[in-house]
Amino acid sequence: MAVAALLFGASGAAADTSSSSSSSSAVEGKTFVIGTDTTFAPFEFRDSSGELTGIDMDILRAIAKDQGFKVEIRSLGFNAALQALTSDQVDGVIAGMSITDERKQVYDFSEPYFESGVQMAVAKNNDDIKGYEDLKGKTVTAKTGAEGETFAKSIAKKYDFTVKSLDQSASMYELVKSGNAVAVFDDYPVLAYGIAQNNGLKTVTDKVPGGSYGFAVNKGKNADLLAAFNDGLAKIKANGDYDKIVDGYLADPTAAQPTTFWELLGNSLPALLKGLKNTLLVTGISFVVAMVIGLAAGFMKIARNIVVRGISTTFVNIFRGTPLLLWAFMFYFGIPQLTGLPINIWVAAVLTLSLNSGAYVAEIVRGGIQSVDPGQMEASRSLGLGYGKSMQKVVVPQAFKIMTPSLINQLIIMLKDSSLLLAIGFAELLYQGQQIYAANFRVTETLLIVGVIYFVAVMLLTKLANFADRRFNK
Amino acid sequence: MSTSTTDTARKPMIEVEGLRKSFGSNEVLQGIDAQVAEGEVVCVIGPSGSGKSTFLRCLNKLEDISGGTVVVDGFDLTDPKVDINEVRRHIGMVFQHFNLFPHMTVVENVMLAPVESKKASKSEARQKAIELLTRVGLAEKADARPAALSGGQKQRVAIARALAMNPQIMLFDEATSALDPEMVGEVLQVIRDLAQTGMTLVLVTHEMGFAREVGDRVIFMADGVVCEQGTPEELFGNPQQERTKEFLSKVL
Ligand SMILES: Nc1ncnc2c1ncn2[C@@H]1O[C@H](COP(=O)(O)OP(=O)(O)OP(=O)(O)O)[C@@H](O)[C@H]1O
Ligand SMILES: [Mg+2]
Repeated sequence: MAVAALLFGASGAAADTSSSSSSSSAVEGKTFVIGTDTTFAPFEFRDSSGELTGIDMDILRAIAKDQGFKVEIRSLGFNAALQALTSDQVDGVIAGMSITDERKQVYDFSEPYFESGVQMAVAKNNDDIKGYEDLKGKTVTAKTGAEGETFAKSIAKKYDFTVKSLDQSASMYELVKSGNAVAVFDDYPVLAYGIAQNNGLKTVTDKVPGGSYGFAVNKGKNADLLAAFNDGLAKIKANGDYDKIVDGYLADPTAAQPTTFWELLGNSLPALLKGLKNTLLVTGISFVVAMVIGLAAGFMKIARNIVVRGISTTFVNIFRGTPLLLWAFMFYFGIPQLTGLPINIWVAAVLTLSLNSGAYVAEIVRGGIQSVDPGQMEASRSLGLGYGKSMQKVVVPQAFKIMTPSLINQLIIMLKDSSLLLAIGFAELLYQGQQIYAANFRVTETLLIVGVIYFVAVMLLTKLANFADRRFNK
Repeated sequence: MSTSTTDTARKPMIEVEGLRKSFGSNEVLQGIDAQVAEGEVVCVIGPSGSGKSTFLRCLNKLEDISGGTVVVDGFDLTDPKVDINEVRRHIGMVFQHFNLFPHMTVVENVMLAPVESKKASKSEARQKAIELLTRVGLAEKADARPAALSGGQKQRVAIARALAMNPQIMLFDEATSALDPEMVGEVLQVIRDLAQTGMTLVLVTHEMGFAREVGDRVIFMADGVVCEQGTPEELFGNPQQERTKEFLSKVL
């Protein structure tokens, strides 16, 4: 009912935009998957209850409501969101993204929904840097692919400073506070919001008018969605909702209430435990798969047939010789672009962890089997048991006993390595931690809590595994 | 070359002709001819590295045979169609280092082959195993782990395990060489008892006294060939070959 009223009022006010009822009905009732950044407060961040909020989110939701479609938000990180868009893993991206000519070649953009600009900030206690001239010989930081980076690089030669690009605002602010960079170039609303949140920085230069933010879909795809976005944007601008949203964040940023460590812990624990659950689940599933892969490849490694051995050796060499992170990107972004088929993030995560770990398990299995005295196999064969039976009844049980400590070790490595999956936006423990400090800038304390949770999880897992080892490998 | 003394009429259990075995370019067995009759006890002696173990391991095809023929209990081992697992159930083998399965109890070691070859149910196999362990004097150790046994006890269990499939032939590769001297006797006694039951035995041994005592025939191997063979009296009492004399002068 409210939707209808809003729709009605809006279309009345918005004179004659191309708000033909057909364009909105094309998306009506549909659900679109929208990728966004994880950390770009005040455009997107998580509030203390863990809900995604921010200017982008509010605008998107207001437009969706107006146009009658639903959105499913994937908070992936800026670069990851764009890669997901390229590989059609998401239908659109809204991530405080400037409309640039380069991006226009690969994506279709909406009308600009926000006029941004770049500003420079330094640590609160830094009184040496008052302008660009003071940057001579120093290092500054800016966000990869963002307006701030473009601007910083454009004046870097003139003022003789170096730009070190990072992925997330919170990381950039930490870099400045830790002294590894003297200044940060970031979008002014982001800086303003962070400073209001006591992020320990201050602005020292004027805002440089910069690009405009747009909502993007993949080139030539989702034209209906784009049209609906433009239509809805025009309406919420016309009816005043737009200004309310933006002013709510910028004119009067939610005053940061300094919280104690224990309040921070209490607020963040639910989100972190959700991350822990995903960490444990993805590790558990991947370990089972890795064991299957590793056993198969391990046995293949000791096969008589040189082709079989070669296949296994190639597999092991490939996955031991390449970084885990590369495969995470490959499975989640690369292969979908090659095949045109989107891939579930859990599938990509499990493939990444289990293939990597499977290569190590294969070596553990091979080593375990080869370390069993060959006399055991001979004794079994001389009793008339076949090769397979001898393996199963005599060699493998002994090999497992030898292998168990290495396998436990592998499991623990996998649990910790699963944190790398945050790079593809997999909501594991460290990712959840990043989400939290991206909004509240309490980086050190949040990382400390995350670290303790990892440590306790690893300790418990080790105890459990050792208990099982004693139980079954008497 | 005379075969044997009194038993030429008995059925041959093992017939080896022109057996050759190479490891890479190293030809370890250079054409062995030998026969073992049913119920005969043959001891194989010779210097270290002469190929005794390799010869024995060719008799149940633990080593691939490079040339010649080996016929055991009527099965031609060089015939690829022969089910080697079936043949091996007719041949018990006892190793120098026992090779008991450490993750199983003593009785499980003995039961493994009958159960896995489906020749017996678990309870039948267990009953048979206890009988065999009684025979080697170790029934009370049935539920112990091999690690808890002395060397002599381990070897007696290994013999019981090899007997579990009721083999026609038993092969022993220096069954007492890894034992402390005080334990050699108990193992030799078990082998002596086996010889008395009329089982076909091939023993690679360094125990010359034992070879003289239980052997129907002694084969002296040197450099991958059978250098000389005969009854213990002939071979130990009146060796014909220089190599034999030289070897015996060192070990006797
Ligand atoms: N698996 C193998 N690979 C390569 N060479 C081998 C192998 N097994 C045995 N040999 C070689 O074959 C030769 C004969 O070995 P074998 O073990 O049969 O001798 P042996 O008469 O039993 O000696 P010993 O009295 O020391 O046990 C030796 O030179 C040995 O190095
Ligand atoms: Mg030997």
